[in-house]
Amino acid sequence: MVEAIGLYKSFGSVEAVRGVSFSVSRGEIFGLLGPNGAGKTTTIRMITGLLRPDRGRAFIMGIDVHRDPIEARSHIGVVPEVSNPYVDLSVWDNLVLIGKLYCIPKETIIERGKSLLEELGLYDRRSSKAKTLSKGMRRRLLLAMALISDPEILFLDEPTSGLDVFSARKIRSMITGLRRNGKTIVLTTHNIDEAGMLCDRVAIINKGKIIAEGTPDDLRIRYGKYIEIKVLFDNSIDSSVLNEFRDHYNVTCDERWVTIICEKNELDEVLDKIMNIKHRLDLRIKDLHIESQSFEDIFVRIVRGE
Amino acid sequence: MVAGISDYLKKIWALSIKDMRLYYFKGPTIVMGVVMPMFLWLAFMIGSSPSIGSAVAMLLSISSFFAASSITPVILPWETRQKTLEMILARPITIELVLIGTCLASMLYGVFVSLVIIAIGIFLGVCAANIPVLIASILLSSICYSFMGLLFSAIPSDVPADAVLLSSVVRMPLIFISGVFVPINRLPILMRPLSYVSPLTYYADIINDLYIGRSTFSLGIDFLVLLLFTIILGIFTIETNRRTIIKRL
Ligand SMILES: Nc1ncnc2c1ncn2[C@@H]1O[C@H](COP(=O)(O)OP(=O)(O)O)[C@@H](O)[C@H]1O
Ligand SMILES: [Mg+2]
Repeated sequence: MVEAIGLYKSFGSVEAVRGVSFSVSRGEIFGLLGPNGAGKTTTIRMITGLLRPDRGRAFIMGIDVHRDPIEARSHIGVVPEVSNPYVDLSVWDNLVLIGKLYCIPKETIIERGKSLLEELGLYDRRSSKAKTLSKGMRRRLLLAMALISDPEILFLDEPTSGLDVFSARKIRSMITGLRRNGKTIVLTTHNIDEAGMLCDRVAIINKGKIIAEGTPDDLRIRYGKYIEIKVLFDNSIDSSVLNEFRDHYNVTCDERWVTIICEKNELDEVLDKIMNIKHRLDLRIKDLHIESQSFEDIFVRIVRGE
Repeated sequence: MVAGISDYLKKIWALSIKDMRLYYFKGPTIVMGVVMPMFLWLAFMIGSSPSIGSAVAMLLSISSFFAASSITPVILPWETRQKTLEMILARPITIELVLIGTCLASMLYGVFVSLVIIAIGIFLGVCAANIPVLIASILLSSICYSFMGLLFSAIPSDVPADAVLLSSVVRMPLIFISGVFVPINRLPILMRPLSYVSPLTYYADIINDLYIGRSTFSLGIDFLVLLLFTIILGIFTIETNRRTIIKRL
């Protein structure tokens, strides 16, 4: 449905995107996950035909976006990262304007517009000027505007960033609902949990390059084989006691808390060693946590290149 | 093919209606497009006592000129500032369609203002000698001046006031060298070449011809030169704006 082949773009001396390729198949939610400045927005702009790549090509449903932008864009809905509806037009008129740009018959606009606004909790505000809407409501209106043409593919650049909890939740539930209806969605986010929650497949992008790709679970398995063990003793211990761990594991000691990061299959061994220390020094264990690393920790490690 | 063209026209019209609703009644548009030429005209009227026919002709010339060129300079800076430009460009349209829609709105503003002044003229008992020629000249010159206004939005600033200021700095002197208040043959000889490169000269010449029977060029020449200006400005401004609009994202 969407295909990016070796996209490059630089602005002066800044190489914003350096060879990004991926493809998204029908009905998939694909996430571009990366820190600020990673090149997500630039990538989306190239795929939606707004920016011409220095090198590389982009296809939407097999149509070369830069050869035939009108045809390609007639299949997509886009919510750009930083954008607004027309603040001096009403909610409804904004929707109708966009509908007309897709040459949708009036009755269809009315019917779809009504159900979209109801679903996004904006129907009561349909006659208000967009300038009276909160930031979250404006974003929801933009989503409705992107959906008025009932597009096969939806591009959402940071759909929930900077929004109140209610609007963010509303937009997320709309996204999962759209997936159920078989829509293809490409979204960008710097929110790892959001990517893990919404996406079928995630590409992690950093400094203009995709550095890892897979389902959230793939990435968790591939990069998330580490677990973190935290032990609270009743007395502070001398950090030299922990020397026997240092060769194998990442250990930190903060007064009475000892934190050890190890691979899952070493759990048994590490726990034995902890019990050893406990018996030798006659300590008591007051608290114990064992956690898989979160998607966030994994992300940080991949971006750091570990 | 036919369906394709009618879709284009529908999209241009939708964009144009949007521009009309958003910009026709904005402060800068009314001040720069309607109030300012009115004041210039009044200032000139106080110093001289022309016939009603030539007073209406003067007002008509500068009003069409200012009104038609007052909307195109502000729309792109305004949309950049309001962060609506990327949102609209992501639709199945092209930059060219957006620009043409803008020009259409601006041109129609010129036409509406002109019609009001023609009506006032009729009310005062003066009318153009040839109505079809009058209408044709208003349509053509309004297109020409709306393209001219678009020239000022090629600078990718997001401060609408910049474009307003720049466009006024350019438009104001044109009034005085284009034979609106002072006939070209009474201008200092050194300034005459300048008046030949002002697109306002040829429209003012048509209007003067139609209202007071005084003209420097024949109607044919006037229309031909206006048409050339329109084509050249049209191609040039759309091309330059197409290049710089990307910098606005
Ligand atoms: N229009 C532009 N002009 C100059 N530099 C840009 C422009 N757009 C993006 N950049 C630069 O390109 C890099 C990637 O930006 P962007 O694609 O917006 O990242 P992200 O969306 O992941 O935060 C950044 O360093 C940014 O400063
Ligand atoms: Mg971004």
